[in-house]
Amino acid sequence: MRFLVACGLWFALAGAALAHRAPNSVVRIAFGADRVHAEVMVPRSELEHAMAGAQDAKSFGAYLLQHMRAEAPDGARWEIRVRSVREASYLDHDYLSAELELVPPRGAPPGRFVLIDDAVTHEVRNHVVWVVTRQDDELIGALQYPRSRLTVERPAATRTAAAR
Amino acid sequence: MNRHRGTLGLAWLVLWVSAAAHADTVEKQCIATGSGDNRAIVAAADAFRGQLSDAERGKLDRPFARASAIHWSNLPVAVVPRDALRLGDLDAAKSASARALLAAALSACGLALFDEIRLADDALIPLDTRNIGWDARNYFLSILGTPSLKTPWMLQVGGHHLAYNLTFNGRLPGATPLFLGTEPIRFTAQGKSYEPLKAQSGAMSKLATAVARYGEAKLSGTFTDVVKGVVVEFVPGKPPVGGTDTGYPHQYPEGDKDRGVHYSRLKPAEQALVSDAIASYTGLPGEAITHDLVAAYLSPEALAGTFIGYAGATDLGQEGSYVRIDGPRIWMELIVQRAIATPTELHYHALWRDKLADYGGEIGK
Repeated sequence: MRFLVACGLWFALAGAALAHRAPNSVVRIAFGADRVHAEVMVPRSELEHAMAGAQDAKSFGAYLLQHMRAEAPDGARWEIRVRSVREASYLDHDYLSAELELVPPRGAPPGRFVLIDDAVTHEVRNHVVWVVTRQDDELIGALQYPRSRLTVERPAATRTAAAR
Repeated sequence: MNRHRGTLGLAWLVLWVSAAAHADTVEKQCIATGSGDNRAIVAAADAFRGQLSDAERGKLDRPFARASAIHWSNLPVAVVPRDALRLGDLDAAKSASARALLAAALSACGLALFDEIRLADDALIPLDTRNIGWDARNYFLSILGTPSLKTPWMLQVGGHHLAYNLTFNGRLPGATPLFLGTEPIRFTAQGKSYEPLKAQSGAMSKLATAVARYGEAKLSGTFTDVVKGVVVEFVPGKPPVGGTDTGYPHQYPEGDKDRGVHYSRLKPAEQALVSDAIASYTGLPGEAITHDLVAAYLSPEALAGTFIGYAGATDLGQEGSYVRIDGPRIWMELIVQRAIATPTELHYHALWRDKLADYGGEIGK
């Protein structure tokens, strides 16, 4: 109980503090046997500087497809599908959150690709995109202007699990 | 060709001497109480440590390692706890001793700014309905390593809107990372008016106004905070972590594109404004700490690779207004953000980094 109270207090404090900060984006990567799932959370306060027009679910999905890509190591393009978009709130900030499915081209390994994302960073210079593993939130890397490309590899632990 | 080269060289020399002299004039106003002399600082640190109890020394002393060094923030202490010695917990004698240490390490301007930024925090106490820790007493002191004349050590002073990170005996002179902020921008306390970052915002605003006539000075994009500040890492559903300098060492822009106007394009009067703006930051630590840094920033080689960029309003009267000095080593930013406690107003964040000498060049990944 004491722990829950402490957590609640912490989130209340953190919300106030993060209102102080320009919030960042996060991409959570989960490796499947033949494809990759990515949850993309983008804060609306920063997105409004980068995305023209209405920030509704339909527009956001299309917008992400313009600003996110995945490539095989040889440059071959992966297919990206938007599975769902929802609104979310976290620590006093509103977000748009999308579930993406990333499918490698035939013959390309699903465990290694280059993620390209400039959905906010093409406009907001201090914005950072955190890319983490969905399984254990391990940091894969971060993107900040002008960097928009990040090599993503399946962690060793999930490599074994996926092979089963 | 050789004659041309000689003329160019002479012109650089004149510019550099002129720029250095101008900056020196500004800095001289800021060295009254402390020179930043290592010997004096070590003596003051030893005297301070000698007054503390074991428990207090336990909070003051930290290993000189990455985890301790990067543990500074511009977030309130309730969110990013500083596990160092809280200045608000010291009695009068120990407070005086701590102040003597700060006076030895900082210039008069640096010490005054330390006081005024904390006064600004005090002005927010009545508005701190969530107890996130705006309070002049919530500023902290730590010593990383052992104060010495030979081996590397650090003096850290910081709280919500201030982080002095001074490194001694490092590979390079270490005055950075140095973070400044203030909310409110202007306020009155006990009948006296304050504007803590007046020197820095004034110098950066004059510089932005002067360079705005050069098209390339305007940076592309939008700025909602300093670019190389502390970063909060978050994953939905979990408490965020970080809020400290976990991004260090940082990557910086390269090439000539979108970095602002090149220093060499500026007229001498405009170049003097660059020196003034630099001095408004470098004049905060003691002069012995920053002397070599200023010389490095104003050297002809450094100025040949220095750019001035801005975004938003040059008078810094609008949210998102931003000014930056970006050279081979120097990285100085100032951003205008929406105020937190009183959202109808604005507040400043400012950051000085040295691309080579943050933490005295002693801290790796």
